[in-house]
Amino acid sequence: MDAAHPLTEAQSGLWYAQRLDPSNPLFNTGQSIDMTGPLDREAFAVALAQAVGEADALALRLIDTPGGPMQVIDPAHRPVLEVIDLSRKTDPLAAAQAAIARDMATPIDPARDPLAAERLFVLGQERHIWQQRIHHLAIDGYGMILLTQRVAELYNARRRGTAPGPALPGISVAFAEDATYRASDKRATDGAYWRALFADAPDVASLAPGIPASAATFHRRAVEIDAAAFARLRETAERTAIPWPDVVTALAAAYVGRHTGTPEVIVGVPFMARLGSAAARVPAMLMNVLPLRVDVAGDGDLDTYLGAVAKSLTRARRHGRYRSEQLRRDLRRVGGQRRLHGPLINLLPFDETPRFDGLTNRLEVLSTGPVEDITFTFRLHGTDGLRLEVDANPDLYAVETVEAHTARLAHFIAAASAAGSLADVATATPEEAHRHLLTLNATDHAVPDTTLAALIEAQMRATPQAPALRFAGQTMDYATLDARSRALAERLVAAGEGGIVAVALPRSFDLVVALVAVLRAGLAYLPLDLAQPDARLARILASAQPRLVLALAGDSPRFAGKAEVAAPDSWPDAPAGTPLAGPAPEDAAYVIYTSGSTGEPKGVVIEHRAIVNRLVWMRAQYGFTPTDRILQKTPATFDVSVWEFFLPLISGACLVIAPPDAHRDPLALARIIAEEAITTAHFVPSMLAAFLAEPAAQGLALARVFCSGEELPADLRDRFHRTLRAELHNLYGPTEAAVDVSYWPAGADDTSRPVPIGFPVWNTRLYVLDARGRPQPPDVPGHLFLGGVQLARGYLGRDDLTTERFLPDPFRPGERIYATGDLALWRPDGAVVFLGRSDHQVKIRGLRIELGEIEAAAMDSGLVRQCAVLAREDRGATRLIAYVVAEPGADLSTLKAGIAARVPDHMVPAAILALDELPVNANGKLDRNALPAPDFAGSGNRAPVTPAERKVAELFAAQLQLDAPAMAEDDFFALGGDSLSAVALLLRVREAFGRDPGLGALFARPTVEGFARLLEAEAPAEDLGLAPLIALVEGAPDLPPLFVIHPAGGISWCYGRLARALAPRRTVYGVQAPALAPGVPPPESLEALAADYVARLRAVRPEGPYHLLGWSVGGILAQAMAVRLADTGQKVGIVAMLDSYPCDVWRGEPDPGEAGALKALLAIAGHDPDRLPALALNRASVLAFLRASDSPLGQLPDAALDGVVRVVAGNNRLVRGHFHRRYEGPVLHFRAALDHAGRDLSPAMWAPYAAAVEVIEVPSLHAHLTGPEAVQAIAPVLGKALVAAEKREAATCATAG
Amino acid sequence: MAIEPGDIRRIVTQAAPVTRATMRADIAKMLHEDPEEIGGGDSLIDLGLDSMRAMNLVLKWSEGGLALDFAEFAESPTLDSWWALVEARQSMRG
Repeated sequence: MDAAHPLTEAQSGLWYAQRLDPSNPLFNTGQSIDMTGPLDREAFAVALAQAVGEADALALRLIDTPGGPMQVIDPAHRPVLEVIDLSRKTDPLAAAQAAIARDMATPIDPARDPLAAERLFVLGQERHIWQQRIHHLAIDGYGMILLTQRVAELYNARRRGTAPGPALPGISVAFAEDATYRASDKRATDGAYWRALFADAPDVASLAPGIPASAATFHRRAVEIDAAAFARLRETAERTAIPWPDVVTALAAAYVGRHTGTPEVIVGVPFMARLGSAAARVPAMLMNVLPLRVDVAGDGDLDTYLGAVAKSLTRARRHGRYRSEQLRRDLRRVGGQRRLHGPLINLLPFDETPRFDGLTNRLEVLSTGPVEDITFTFRLHGTDGLRLEVDANPDLYAVETVEAHTARLAHFIAAASAAGSLADVATATPEEAHRHLLTLNATDHAVPDTTLAALIEAQMRATPQAPALRFAGQTMDYATLDARSRALAERLVAAGEGGIVAVALPRSFDLVVALVAVLRAGLAYLPLDLAQPDARLARILASAQPRLVLALAGDSPRFAGKAEVAAPDSWPDAPAGTPLAGPAPEDAAYVIYTSGSTGEPKGVVIEHRAIVNRLVWMRAQYGFTPTDRILQKTPATFDVSVWEFFLPLISGACLVIAPPDAHRDPLALARIIAEEAITTAHFVPSMLAAFLAEPAAQGLALARVFCSGEELPADLRDRFHRTLRAELHNLYGPTEAAVDVSYWPAGADDTSRPVPIGFPVWNTRLYVLDARGRPQPPDVPGHLFLGGVQLARGYLGRDDLTTERFLPDPFRPGERIYATGDLALWRPDGAVVFLGRSDHQVKIRGLRIELGEIEAAAMDSGLVRQCAVLAREDRGATRLIAYVVAEPGADLSTLKAGIAARVPDHMVPAAILALDELPVNANGKLDRNALPAPDFAGSGNRAPVTPAERKVAELFAAQLQLDAPAMAEDDFFALGGDSLSAVALLLRVREAFGRDPGLGALFARPTVEGFARLLEAEAPAEDLGLAPLIALVEGAPDLPPLFVIHPAGGISWCYGRLARALAPRRTVYGVQAPALAPGVPPPESLEALAADYVARLRAVRPEGPYHLLGWSVGGILAQAMAVRLADTGQKVGIVAMLDSYPCDVWRGEPDPGEAGALKALLAIAGHDPDRLPALALNRASVLAFLRASDSPLGQLPDAALDGVVRVVAGNNRLVRGHFHRRYEGPVLHFRAALDHAGRDLSPAMWAPYAAAVEVIEVPSLHAHLTGPEAVQAIAPVLGKALVAAEKREAATCATAG
Repeated sequence: MAIEPGDIRRIVTQAAPVTRATMRADIAKMLHEDPEEIGGGDSLIDLGLDSMRAMNLVLKWSEGGLALDFAEFAESPTLDSWWALVEARQSMRG
């Protein structure tokens, strides 16, 4: 055996990668050659043996030593040809393919197993398949070709009787080359070149978000590049003297750029690293991947672009032996999301199929190594064929996406081959463009060519007696609305022809009468918000020139000298009967001013035809009928109000007007929705979030709720369905397109993340276009444009702005589109997803960030009542800032950790700013411009706090020999760590913590705080006694156990004393809340929780009877579990309650909130909170008190204590949402007789929900029911009841038997 | 990666024999240089030749029907070495 060699640089990276993922079989490269014809098996075997004898790499054995991995040539590992005869199988080909697939799917351990296998499957006399499987540590793609060609050469020479060419050089040549290069000046020069080139390189973007770590399989799709296109590319190559493979590489990079939307892309280019090397003919792993920076921003002249990329490629190859793994370490692009390049572009400009005399061969490359992201391989075959293979990581790409890229890239290359400029090359295929521009926008629908005034008038005539309006307990019928609005309309017409009437009334009957009157008079109404400053009001009045203002007399001074005011008390009550001409469909119906980006308000003019389309669509889409009661709560200045006002009036439904200012008061809204039996309401998502948090809103039922105006976060959608019973619909549209142009049903079954804005409404088109106005393919962000009948006429008096934003429709001559300034994408199913404004696109480290997701994580911490996350630019870096309004008394120091527990690291805000309230604009939307800029001085320098953090920081510093101590946010790899030192660090971690989370975990969580959190979280919950089912007492195995259900805090340790006091001694299991563990979602309902517990009971005890006991909430759960057990035919023993009362009692009570949860926590720890008046009821002081006390709770880690507080709060919610079903059996109730002063709580309240209630009075307070005195009273009664129940059971069985 | 004569379909259109001068001119064009700048013993890598360009040259010279092996060319990338390889193959055929 040879001497041991250290691994080459090329091998080291693969070694650690395989160590990181030992079960991944993709580190095996492989190919099979299907040989048809008379194979001379003996000649083949001899040729193979000789070639394998020359190729030392196949005989390598790897040895893991304390000094690092080593390798030796071990003759015992040299593969021997296995001949497998399948010729007698019914389907030999299928059998061979299955055997090959199995072999390729089997991982090997390079430290134990041979690296290579050579197998020949005999399918028949004239058909063979030769499979080679070689670990990537031993070979690369070019090495595989050298080996295969050598076998063919030896075979042919033997058959022809000629001398074969020179033998393949031994691997020692490659080792020597590697050692020479490592020590050379050339390596230093190469490294300096790369470091300089990448000094200012941007973050890497790819075609899909996510961490590029190879899965165990990959998707592959392939397509032939059009032959004529390939011929044209070779002509281009000839003309520009750029090799055609470089031309194709450049075009593929441009294709990547089209998808990332970045001005520059960094792609990976495999490089054989052999030219001019003595190791040129050595089959070994020498291949390198060169990161190629490509400027794709120009999108211009093709030859110029190709020349630039070719130059970069030439330079890269000149320095191409410098290992990319080393470069990653140099550049600190290791771990987490940091990477050196995105997609791989691999050009194989030669036909790899070997030539065996007399045989026809077909080569299939099975695997070329791990597929971390996506690889575009172009293979030459024959002399003129070019095949595109797309291999992709299934963790990041759906197979449909891979198919789409395959077709799209092939089309892109073909189109570029015939273009002079990339600007002429579309990204989407013609099929994609057709589907997006036409098929998805085929929304033509016949709508009567009429006016809003005519539709309302027809309805008023049709149902004069029906209630039209409700306000403050009063009703106005359609006939009265008709009379009053007509009378006012006559008065308005009398004042002159055409024009605008301003309306500045608070919500009231008069407001609706005014709006209807203006429409009937053929005028356009202009809503005004008197809360805005005089200066803005004056600008709007000057711009719109209303002929009249309808406003309260008391507000008329605001208009003095600017416009004439007509107050409601001056309006005529009864119509005179003067004929009203009314408006035409193309007349303006309303003018709404929106704020421009410059701050100058712009008046959007909407015509009747546009708003009629919107309203008639909505009426049909959601099936509105005269029985609907629609809440009007949106200020008239916000265009959502338009459908709130008029949809009921064209449907014969009732418009219920919320009191002025109620739209910002969740409690008032909950009341009016319940009292007025509202069927339909609208919420801006941020207001919906506040509304759902309102206790009075819990369980409200409506027919439907609409959201628009802001992005609807997916978490909010889910919270909605947990809180309310109603359909939820997400609508989208700017003021410039008659309220809404798209719709998406966000029902309880909708799992979309993010929630789309959906599909176009009738007679409407949505386009997602790139910067040159070309349609984008699915999943690629672009600019959202709108077309169709709902577009505004334009901006009042601002033709310049109108021309700027309302453009000719490039796809429908003669029509217009509106540039929304929003970014969007088409999902593969055609639904449109809103991505934000084009002016503040949020990307961190090249990844799109869902700010709503971070906000939801902050909200779920329970520490904040409102939260907005923004991405701010600060000295060139984009950072996420969370603006929060804290819950009273909440300690925000744990908020960041709480968020970090829910979102990926790159989404954890860099700073959290607490504000008294979030600034909002007049429409109630968040005013982003009013948020203060954070002060970053000192941020990112948090000293480690928790014991785990301090220890991890110490270990980082020791391993990396840092001068200064590591800070909590410091990143192991950013501090200079690499995979080598990471392995050493993990050894230290194992010594310090007794646990090794593994290299992969460190890569995923490379910061001190992240890794410390992981180590804390890894501590198994069982160790702490927090598992969902724990044995409190082990007793006689023949006695059915007693299951005791936790009270509010979720922990059942409190029953220990009672469990030990039972005679006869029996096993007692404590049932504890699974949500104590971090990351476990709270249960949907108390029923769901009870079902979960029953499943756990049945897992430890498949047969009844099941004895159940619970204190407080635990009793409620015990009853629900008993019902559930009975449902499924299981036998229930006793159902005992320690002072539990039905949910009906608690439903009406206010939620005790965090203070209540903390009190409960103190009680669980054995303290009477009422005796600790000096203790502040906030999380920090209660946790500190518990830490200082001798309670076992105080020994729990923070995460577990947080779990308790969370569970208490969750139980309060569950109890309030639970409705008991009846349990057809007796309940044994232990009542705390010394408690409940002044409260009417009686065990008899259980009478409707149980067959019988037996009450035992215990002289105790509720809080002391598991204490020593109470247990003395309870245990004997309980013990007897258990025995009695079992006797009953036995008697029943005997009778039945 | 020998390319066998039987696989070459464009042989009829590429009849011109490869000479040292045509090789020198082809290399120069690849490098955007004048042929005089290419010395017989110069390392073509130092002159800016990379593997993709080298492979393209070898494929181009194979189009006349010569069985050239890129791996041999890769071992010693100079005009003189390459001409020796081509000359040897041509004499084998001739």
